[in-house]
Amino acid sequence: MPDQAESANPGGTDREQGLRSRRDREAIARLADDLLPALIAKLAASGLGEIEVREGGWKARLRKPAMSEEVRRNAARAADGHAGHGIATRGAAGHGRPEERERRSHPEEDVAEEPGRIAAKSPAVGIYHPRRDLVVGMRVRSGERIGFVDVLGVRQDVVAPVDGLIGSSLEEAGEAVEYGQDLVGIELPEPSADAETGRPVRDAAAVAGNA
Amino acid sequence: MFSKILIANRGEIALRILRACRTLGVGAVVAYSEADREGLAAQLADEAICIGPADARHSYLSASAVVSAAVVTGCDAIHPGYGFLSEDEDFADVVRAHGLTFIGPPAEVLANFASKEATRRLLGAHGLPTIPGSGMLRDEAHALEEAERIGYPVLIKPSAGGGGRGMRLVRTERELDSCFKLSRSEAKAAFGDDSLYLEKFLDDNRHVEIQVAVDRFGAAIHLGDRDCSVQRRHQKLIEETPSPALSEAARQELADRAVKAVVAAGYENLGTLEFLVDASGEAFFIEINCRIQVEHPITELCTGVDLVALQIKIAAGEPLGMTQADVVSRGHAIEFRILAEDPAKDFRPGAGQVEAYLAPGGPGVRMDSHLYPGYDIPSYYDSLLGKLCVWAPDRAGAIARGDAALRELLVDGVTTNIELHRAILANQIFIDGKVTTNLLDRVGSAPFVTASSR
Repeated sequence: MPDQAESANPGGTDREQGLRSRRDREAIARLADDLLPALIAKLAASGLGEIEVREGGWKARLRKPAMSEEVRRNAARAADGHAGHGIATRGAAGHGRPEERERRSHPEEDVAEEPGRIAAKSPAVGIYHPRRDLVVGMRVRSGERIGFVDVLGVRQDVVAPVDGLIGSSLEEAGEAVEYGQDLVGIELPEPSADAETGRPVRDAAAVAGNA
Repeated sequence: MFSKILIANRGEIALRILRACRTLGVGAVVAYSEADREGLAAQLADEAICIGPADARHSYLSASAVVSAAVVTGCDAIHPGYGFLSEDEDFADVVRAHGLTFIGPPAEVLANFASKEATRRLLGAHGLPTIPGSGMLRDEAHALEEAERIGYPVLIKPSAGGGGRGMRLVRTERELDSCFKLSRSEAKAAFGDDSLYLEKFLDDNRHVEIQVAVDRFGAAIHLGDRDCSVQRRHQKLIEETPSPALSEAARQELADRAVKAVVAAGYENLGTLEFLVDASGEAFFIEINCRIQVEHPITELCTGVDLVALQIKIAAGEPLGMTQADVVSRGHAIEFRILAEDPAKDFRPGAGQVEAYLAPGGPGVRMDSHLYPGYDIPSYYDSLLGKLCVWAPDRAGAIARGDAALRELLVDGVTTNIELHRAILANQIFIDGKVTTNLLDRVGSAPFVTASSR
């Protein structure tokens, strides 16, 4: 890190105070030059809502204000039923056997490649069962179980990848799903949304899975 | 016949099985890992399903993922290809327990032939000459005692092993003493089973194998032999049929004995019996492979029999549909394994994007490969890019076609061993049909590498 604090030192009258303010300036310079850009990049890449870092007496907290336009667009497309990258199987009625391969002939529809799209993914190949009480707009925490995939009678949990609100359901209960398939869209809450009530943010028309 | 088969493998063999399914009019689903999403088999399949992450332990080697994929896609059979779960009797058992058919020998047959040491005893009892060896080794003292009896040099071999992995050549008591523990822990790590046995090592041997097919009703045929003596560190590089090491009479006798032995031992489906042939032409049985082999195309080129289709039919309970008299092997075929390896850098495996790819053509040329321009070779799996196979009425013709085809084959973007193949083809020892399994390792690959870079 370039030592910018050295040149910025005003040379205070009181030696001790000068030292302290110099240390503070150095810390602020380090924050601005080094830490913040890294944190911002991390936050953007992660899909997390908030990041906090502590060091010594200093603390930096970054919070995403709301969904970016890109995330909104992607969430809307997901709600429209774009299956996204990697979904090779389509479930037929009832038992849900994927009968045909969806050809990915339109690369522009490869929405999962775009940053910002958030969905709970299938942990395995099997039959998908969303949690029965799942409804659109419901608040979930990162790591919370929102369903399971039945793999030859063994349940593998489907978990929310981030804190957020249940968005559109991309797959129906009882459908065959493959590994890594997007199952439920997770939306990041709007700043205006009431955190306590978990009020649906938008596009509440889509009904989550097995509600 | 089956209605739909899950192909639980990758690369060129997944493509080969897909082609067999289409030929038979059977549906097929390609099971792929996340790293193989852009693989040609998954791209060409009417139906494909992602079964897990790149790590094969959680995809191609996961019995539950593979069987679950077959169940949810409505398949009634699973083709395991080679490697991965292809010879795993527990997997075959799980497949059957879910009402599906494992395309290969039934689970109990696989179990009977799972131990190489026990298989040698079993087939030895049914008339196959076996190489002098030990039983399962108890400890170091036992190993030293057995090596003394057999006579050095000996190979330390893991009973559960395959593809040369975990094998060690020792020439003295001291070497055996220092290698034993290491071999045991390597075998444990690689195969989950640390059973070892010893085998007499024949210094200048040839590797010759016999392809057999046995149906559920005990009818059996052989489809000739293959010579796989061109190896590097026990990995086959070039295979040909018929073997230049055997006379016609010796070949016939070996094949007949192989068929009789596997039928008597209760074998079922395709199988390959591997033999070492010493300098005097005497053959010793070493192991049986209970799967489709990488090098099966050269047998197909000479016999005209679609081995993968035959394997599927046998698993479906159909009779062979042919007798030994119907199997006529014509001409000579050679296979070159095209690998993403750099011979100049100690055969370091490579990965990366294939910038250009052009398969050779012409009479008697067959290219089994999953490459295409723009394909990103994943670094998680083996380095096999494809198999170039050539056929001609005689061996000299096959060598000439091989060289012409290798010159035509273009793979840009990754370093391959194409030029090494050309150097081997031009070598007098190969032309004379006298390559032994230790040649490349004994003289080193350097002369060939040097020749190939000219």
